Order: sequence, then C-alpha cells, then structure tokens
Amino acid sequence: MIPNKWLPALAASTVIASLLLVGCSPDLSPSSDGTGTPQAGGHLVMARELDVMTLMPADASDNESIWTIEDIYDTLIVPSADGQSLKPSLATDWVQSEDKLAWTFTLRHGATFSDGTPLTSADVKFSLDAASDPNLPSGFLNEQIAGIDTPSPETVVVRTKTAWSPLPSVLALYANSIVPANYGGKSREEFAKAPVGSGPFKVKNWTQGQQLDLVKNTAYWGTDRPYLDAVTFVAVADANTRATQLQGGQITVNEMPAASSFAALSSTPGLKASAFDSSYTSFLSLNNTRAPFTDVHVRRAIAYAIDREAILKAANFGQGTAAGSFLSPAYWAYDANVKGRQFNLEEAKKEMGLSSKPAGFSADILVASGNATQLTTAQILQSELSEIGITLTINQMEPGALRATRKSMDYDMAISNATTDITDPDELVRFIAAKSGGSNAMYTGYDNQQVADLATQAASLSDQAKRLKIYSTIQQKVNDDQPMVPLLYQPTLYSYSDKVHDFQPSITGNYNLVNTWLSK
Amino acid sequence: MTRFLVRRLSLLALVVWGVVTATFVLVHATPGDPARATLGDKASESAVQALRAEWGLDQPLGAQYWHFLTDLVSGNLGTSFQYRSPIASLLAERLPTTLLLMLMAVTFAVVISLPLATWVAVRGRGGADIGVRIFGAVAQGTPTFLIGTLLVIVFGLNLHWFPVGGYGRTSAEHLHSLVLPAITIALGIVPMLVNSLRASLTDALQSDFVAFGHSKGLKPATVLAAYAIRNGSISGVTILGIQAGVLAGGALVVEKVFAIPGMGSLMLAGILGRDFPVVQATTLVFAGIVVVVYLVTDLSYALLDPRARLA
Repeated sequence: MIPNKWLPALAASTVIASLLLVGCSPDLSPSSDGTGTPQAGGHLVMARELDVMTLMPADASDNESIWTIEDIYDTLIVPSADGQSLKPSLATDWVQSEDKLAWTFTLRHGATFSDGTPLTSADVKFSLDAASDPNLPSGFLNEQIAGIDTPSPETVVVRTKTAWSPLPSVLALYANSIVPANYGGKSREEFAKAPVGSGPFKVKNWTQGQQLDLVKNTAYWGTDRPYLDAVTFVAVADANTRATQLQGGQITVNEMPAASSFAALSSTPGLKASAFDSSYTSFLSLNNTRAPFTDVHVRRAIAYAIDREAILKAANFGQGTAAGSFLSPAYWAYDANVKGRQFNLEEAKKEMGLSSKPAGFSADILVASGNATQLTTAQILQSELSEIGITLTINQMEPGALRATRKSMDYDMAISNATTDITDPDELVRFIAAKSGGSNAMYTGYDNQQVADLATQAASLSDQAKRLKIYSTIQQKVNDDQPMVPLLYQPTLYSYSDKVHDFQPSITGNYNLVNTWLSK
Repeated sequence: MTRFLVRRLSLLALVVWGVVTATFVLVHATPGDPARATLGDKASESAVQALRAEWGLDQPLGAQYWHFLTDLVSGNLGTSFQYRSPIASLLAERLPTTLLLMLMAVTFAVVISLPLATWVAVRGRGGADIGVRIFGAVAQGTPTFLIGTLLVIVFGLNLHWFPVGGYGRTSAEHLHSLVLPAITIALGIVPMLVNSLRASLTDALQSDFVAFGHSKGLKPATVLAAYAIRNGSISGVTILGIQAGVLAGGALVVEKVFAIPGMGSLMLAGILGRDFPVVQATTLVFAGIVVVVYLVTDLSYALLDPRARLA
C-alpha cells in the first residue's frame, strides 16, 4: 500500500508542479519495472468481468468504460501514478490568475487526433462544455466551471464561479477527455460507436458486450509510444474462467482475480500476480437517520467492537490494510494521525453503556449476494457485535436491489466502498460532507454543517498546506462523529503473464497501457 | 392438419404473451433503478431523474406496458439502456451463437444417448445396465457449472484439445469453442434421455412387430433400426421437447462458465444492469425458442406416429 507518510514535497501546489514539469512528457516518465529494455510490438489481451458500456467519455460511469477511455483519449492533465501530484498531458502548463477565478492552459504543440486532425483549443472548449451537462454522470464535478475562452488555438482559459483549487484535478477526470469539436462532424450517437481520440490507442472494432479491439495510434504525440501494436478487451463474466484462460495462455491479463486465489496465482510458473495501490476503501455504512444509529455512542461502540485485522485476514486474504480515516492514503490529504477507533472491546462496552441502548439491540446488515468477501465480513461483524449485545441479521440482496434499498435509506447497516475519480480529496469529502452526487453522504445520511463549510473553504484555497490542515480537521471531525466505520484500504489485484512488463495501474485505476510492453 | 397447426399456434402465442407480460411485471416490480445502474452511485439525483424521463420510466406502469406491447407488435424491441444500441442488432449478434450451442447440445445428447440406450436395451439387465444407470445418476446429480469446469480443466487446460472458454473469431473457431459447452449441456439431458429410450426400446424389442420382423428373416440390425428404434424413439423426442426449457436454462449457466457471448450472457448482463428492454427481449426470444421446440416436437410426433396427427 501507499506509505502512510505522504510526502509534503510531492504535495506542492499544482502551479509550481506544472512549472517544473513544463515540456516533460506526462505519463511517459521511465517507469520500467526493472525487467529489461522495452520491446515494441505484441498484442495484449485482457479479460474483464464486463465489457465496455460506452466509449463516450462524458457518459461513462463503469470502470471498464472509464479505464478504456483513458487509453483512447487524452485529458489536459493526468494524475501521477501514485496520485500525489498532477502531470501535463495535452496541456503542457497551467496557471491560476491572480484573482483566482481563471486558469490558463497552454496546449501541447503538434498534438493531433488519431485521424490526423490537429487538436486545438476549440476541441477543448467543445469537450468541456459538453461534459459539463449536469445530467451526465459526472457533470456535477464541473459545476464550478463558469465558462471557457479560447484566445488562441493553443490557449484555453477556464473561468470558475469561485476561487476553486480542485479544477486541475477535475480536468484530469476521464469525463473531461478531449473529443473533436462537434464530434468531427458526426452525430453524438455516431461518434459514440466509432470514437476518435488523441490517446495512445484507437478503436479498430467493437462488438458490444463481447469484445473491443484497439490498435496503436501511430499519430500519438508521445515519442516511441505506445509499445503495444494492439490491445483486446474481452468480457469474461466468470472469475474462474478468467483464471483458467490466463493459465491456458488464451489471455495475457486477468483483471481482478479473486483475493482467495492470489497466493496460488503468485506461485504459478509463467504468471505474475500484483497488488497495486488504489483508492478503494471499504466501509460499514450506518444509517444515521434511523435509531439507534442516530446515537453517536452506538456508532462509536460499533467501531470499537470491530477487529479489522480479522476481516483483513479472513475475508480479504491479507490483501490491504486496516483503515483509519475515511480518506485513504491514496489522497495527498490523508491524515495518518486519524487512526480511527481500532478494536477495543472495553471501550466498545463503555460507549454502549453511554448510549440510548445500553442493553443492546437487533439490526440487519445488507450484503451483496454472490459476494463472498462481503458475506465473510458480515459474518465476522455478526460475531464481533454480539459481544456488545448487538444481534445482527445478515440480509443478502442482489446487487441492483441492494443499491435501491440503500438509496432509499431503508436499512440499518451495509457494506459499502468508495473509490476516487480524481486525486483531489474534494470529490470524496464533498460526497461525505456536503451530500454531493447521489450517494447521500456514502449512504449514511450524515449531516454536519460545520464539516460542509470546511469542505467549501478547503476547495477555495490555493495554498496546499492550508488545505491540508482543513482536510485534517475534517477527517478528525468525521472520525469523532463516526457516521460510518472505515474498514480496509484495499489494493487492486491483477494477474498476468510474466511476458507483460510495466503494467502499472494508477490509484484511480487507469491501466496506463501506454507504457506497457510484452517480451517475446 | 391445418386445424391442428392453427390451434397449436394460437395456444403458443398465448403462452408467449403470458411470458412477456409476466416478465414486464417482474422486472418493474424488482427493486433497482435502471437509470441509477447506468449512471452509477455518484451521479446526482437530478441526472438520474432526467434519464428516467428520457427512457419513459417516469410514466405510469400501464402506459409503459401499452408502449411496450404496441412496439412489440410492430416489431420494435426497443433500445438497450446499458449499451444504447437497438436490441435487434444485439440479438442479431447473440441469437445465432445460442441457437448453434443448443443445436450442438441436442446433437451431442442424441449421439451419446441413442447408442448407450440401444446397447443397454439389447444387452438386457446386467453390468452394462448398472454402469449406465450409475453414469446417469452422477451426470444428473452434478451441477452444470461443475461439469463445465471439469471439462475445461481436463480438455482445455491439460490436454489443450479445446479453448479454455471464449468464442474465437472465425466460424471454425466458433464450432471448436462450442464443443465443450455443448457437451456440458448435453450431459444434463443424457440421463433422462437414456432412461426413457432404454425403456421404450426394451418394450419395442419385446413387441410383436419386432418378432414379425425377425420371422420375416430380416437381419437383426435392420429390425433394430427400422422397427425398434423408430418406434422406441418417440419417447426420446418427447423428452428432448420437454427439455427445451432445460436447454435454455443450461445456456444461461454454460455461456457464463465458458465466456460464450450468446443470449444467456446478454440476459444475465441485462438482469444485473436492470436493462429492462434487454431482459424483456431475451426472455421473449427464449420463450419463443421453447414454444417453437414444443411445436416441432408435436409435429415430429405426427411424423413418427401417424396416430398422433388428429390429436
């Protein structure tokens, strides 16, 4: 996992970072995994649980679509692999105006779309305007954008409604990928079927629900990249089938093998199994709008009664670390001093004694059916919470039904998770503190105006150190209120052929296949 | 014959209407919002409401049902919520795969069952009979996904005779890829088929017309093929017809285990993503396949046994 100590140097202001990195290649920094000189050529086949739902960046909400889109399109800026800083991509530098209400981006000279059309500020304006539609899945993230000006073909000015620091991070979001202005003369629907981007790969063939074939974009602006000639994503719903296909040599990469098989895969000759840092955090969501979870002492008692190490070992086969703060170490704003209420039965009983239900109560916990990790976690919770008089009934639900039940707040407890789309903490903090987006404060109904005000204040500041201080306060306050119990920070697991090199998904999940190569 | 057909066809149309109506009610009654499933947990409530309105999900259920039926009658299956594509084009890609899989499964079932049943019927009670019974009990008692997984490990992973799941790109690769899945489905029907064929073949072998064939001086093989098997196979056809539903259900599981992009995997993705039009269309097609198989079973009865024509 990411080291608990974040590096202040890396968290320097985005303006300074951009100035230092002007002219550098963005995601092309040498990231060799030390296994030899990269070789050009080869065809990588990745099996994933589901196929891409859409190749239209602004429409995407599923990971398969998002991570594929990042190989076909470019954004102005990209997060660094560890998520601690931002790097240039189509924009080589960016600077915030003195009044803090505008950001000026200089576009990369010579960048073109895969069909050879030059990429200009008009394309950027069109893309960002289109992606800011509030009815699109991620449209709400652009709500601070007041307007976009294009003083020259290589200059874009993005105006914001208020002073708003997360803007560069938000422009690194897949939904803000750059598409040709007016979709290159096609209708939106036509473009979605045969999209054109400026990224390292272009679409060759797509059979929806089955298979997507990408080929190298020879017009890509990154020198000597990508190494791979072609990439195929196949939809293989069954995890066992993906694992046997990898063993049989039919695929090169298996996305997300079961944690239970990870140890066996690691020792299989010819295969590699890696756990990559991610922002994935699992939670025990508590319904703060329903008694007795309205009582902070009940919530704290539950947090104290949970042995996260037991869950890590039994349900996640050791993959991950016990969580403290609701913000994972993937964020630069993560505060390692917020350790959370770790397992302490005495404290748990003490909190129960202070609560409105000192003798305990009965509650149910929602678990997605077919999800062995969640079920084992719930069984452990059932046993542990019985120690403080809470009788837990496990309620398994089909994932779609579970989502609807949680949404309607008709539940007591549920196992949830959070990941981030942007590396700025603003998105997740607003989800939890300001009920932004659709998750109703991570399905807790948590409402603390003081935290909401702090979140707004943090987003308006440019000074990273000051922001960090406020985010630490927010993490401390949320920890005091304990609206949910952060359980584990989990990595993303992949198994792949040992011929695959420099496969390095970032903390937002992007595969970064631009640097990946295959040995012969 | 025409009256027979008309009566059967109208009954089948009624069955299909019942199935699509039940599906419509069930998908709408199941908790889970398609718009939320498509937009994801993070999307704002207003974005979800806008998409619900675009898809007509904000209208009263009766109005939605009326639109669904009128569209269906005019041949419009609608557009997939998830894939944002016309269902007809999704079906055009998926249906041939599943039909080929089911056809191969039936072929394998017959190719395995008929010789086994004939062998046991001719040999009478003894070791062969016990052996086949044990094989039947094991095959019937083993879940489809387990049989599939075992076949993959032995014939795919270890012997490399067949691909480990997937469907390939060429016609030859398609056929090659479907062998193990088809055998997996076939093994689910073989036990019933063998039992029924064995019983009816044993009866047939003891019947007067077989004795007559022998007394005519015909070769035993000719008597077996022309007299016994033809008469004895009527029960087999019934079993195959009745198993059409099992075949369709088998396709659902087997397509997942073997990563075959057919109707079953489309339906599963539709159910999980609350893609109502996809669930409705795939159920309609599966129901269509089952009722057509029933019809063909009735008709082949008539061919095999002239007495059935007026039934």
